[in-house]
Amino acid sequence: MTALVRAELLKLRTVKLPLWLLLTTLALVVLGVLATVLTAGLEGAPLQRDDPALLARSVASASSGSVVILVLGILALTQEFRFGTATPSFLVTPRRSRVLVAKLIAIAVTGLGFALVSAALAVGLSAVLLPLRDGVVTWDRTVLQVLLGVVLVMVLYGPIGIAVGALVRNQIAAVVGSLAWIFIVEQLLVALLPQVGRWTPGGASSAVLQLGDLATTRGDLLPVWGGALLLVAYAVVLSLLAARLTLRRDLT
Amino acid sequence: MATTLLLEGLTKRFGSVVAVEDLTATVHPGRVTGFLGPNGAGKTTTLRMLLGLVRPTSGTATFNGKAYDELVAPVREVGTLLEATGFHPGRTARDHLRVLTTAAGLAASRPDEVLDQVGLSGDAQRKVGGFSLGMRQRLGLAAALLGDPPVLVLDEPANGLDPQGIRWLRSFLRELADQGRTVLVSSHVLPEVEQTADDVLVLAAGRLLRSGTLAELQSEGGGGTTVRTPDGERLVELLTEAGLPGRWLGPHEILVQASPAAVGELAAANGVVLHRLAETAGGLEDVFLALTGQGRP
Repeated sequence: MTALVRAELLKLRTVKLPLWLLLTTLALVVLGVLATVLTAGLEGAPLQRDDPALLARSVASASSGSVVILVLGILALTQEFRFGTATPSFLVTPRRSRVLVAKLIAIAVTGLGFALVSAALAVGLSAVLLPLRDGVVTWDRTVLQVLLGVVLVMVLYGPIGIAVGALVRNQIAAVVGSLAWIFIVEQLLVALLPQVGRWTPGGASSAVLQLGDLATTRGDLLPVWGGALLLVAYAVVLSLLAARLTLRRDLT
Repeated sequence: MATTLLLEGLTKRFGSVVAVEDLTATVHPGRVTGFLGPNGAGKTTTLRMLLGLVRPTSGTATFNGKAYDELVAPVREVGTLLEATGFHPGRTARDHLRVLTTAAGLAASRPDEVLDQVGLSGDAQRKVGGFSLGMRQRLGLAAALLGDPPVLVLDEPANGLDPQGIRWLRSFLRELADQGRTVLVSSHVLPEVEQTADDVLVLAAGRLLRSGTLAELQSEGGGGTTVRTPDGERLVELLTEAGLPGRWLGPHEILVQASPAAVGELAAANGVVLHRLAETAGGLEDVFLALTGQGRP
């Protein structure tokens, strides 16, 4: 299994896409931190400059790349079918579930890498910029919890992407469908129907990142541990479905 | 080292379409076996069933008694070349092989060794997206050789190769078979098979029509061997006595429905001088077209 995971990581390292997606992730983190820092204290903004949670909220932007790692997961799977590399992969490892597990682990490791770089950038940027805008910088347990949440979200979104890619198989449909889900459906559900929205992966992520009062006006997300469990459940259930429904198909 | 492939009652239906029906055949080590059939005959489906990529509706395909997905180290036991599309265009040739080498747990030196074997060393660091079809075929062949396997299963390996590449492939396959490996090569290019194969399996519309040696099949079609000799009368006499009727093609040239070996040995045993002894190419094509129903007007 170690060899298979190393092979999957090598697949990611030997094409340009992951590097570009890492740069995209970092750009999103910068935008996220800037948005938090610049809007804090403005009239009608949910965050005030003296809010003790200001740093934690700003640092939560480190999870901005979750959607990017989701896309990377989708592409890592669908490209195997698009370019026909699934054939050599399954010829080397006829037990296809092993290939899937190796892919899930490899993308989770990649997500961890993305998370650590994103977190360092978000913490550094927030610590420098917040004082410039007269914001308070409070180093407390919440900041640490949020950073752990960032790691959890980034580690799990990749495997969810792999599973979605395996279930949908069509690259464009999988990517466009996921983006529409994240940026339209989940946003609407969390804002308008929070009792439903909090059960979506996006709702669970917001709970883990403690963004309750930012994500929904009524603040009714799951507790942190509930969101964490729900996200893990999504990753596991979708992966099992993928293994069951997709991997048995004939490769013609 | 020697591995025998056994296909037993192999059948595949896609919905109501029967792609392969009740195919039973044996592929022997130390020989190049040509797997022939017109496009759409079910060759690729058969090979994919053999390799566990397509699940047979019924029947089995085994390597020394083991199905592909039961092999402990499949890459070390069976080398495969399926189609020229199994590459990420943004990955270099060497990296493509490194991925497979890593997954299969082979020595890290293998990619460079097999690239050298197929003559792609100079292009190792180039992205596959810029490769010609012929180069992709060579890379696919390199991948097949990574595990130094005793069995090679190659689907239309001559596709996209230039004449020089085809000649190289021919001697390469011969060399592999002479090392005792089992070589199964599908093709729809008959002259190519005639120059490469020892045994042939003929498939059409999903059914196996013939299996046997190439010479057997060629002789069925009235083809066989052309002989040129200054002593034609004597040779025809000897051939007729041996039950091998010859047909005159010219004043000194005779067509015999037998293998060159049979004719040559007969001539040598009786001291008949030969100026030319060659297999005729038309034989297989005629048999093939007659068998597959494509030769009928």
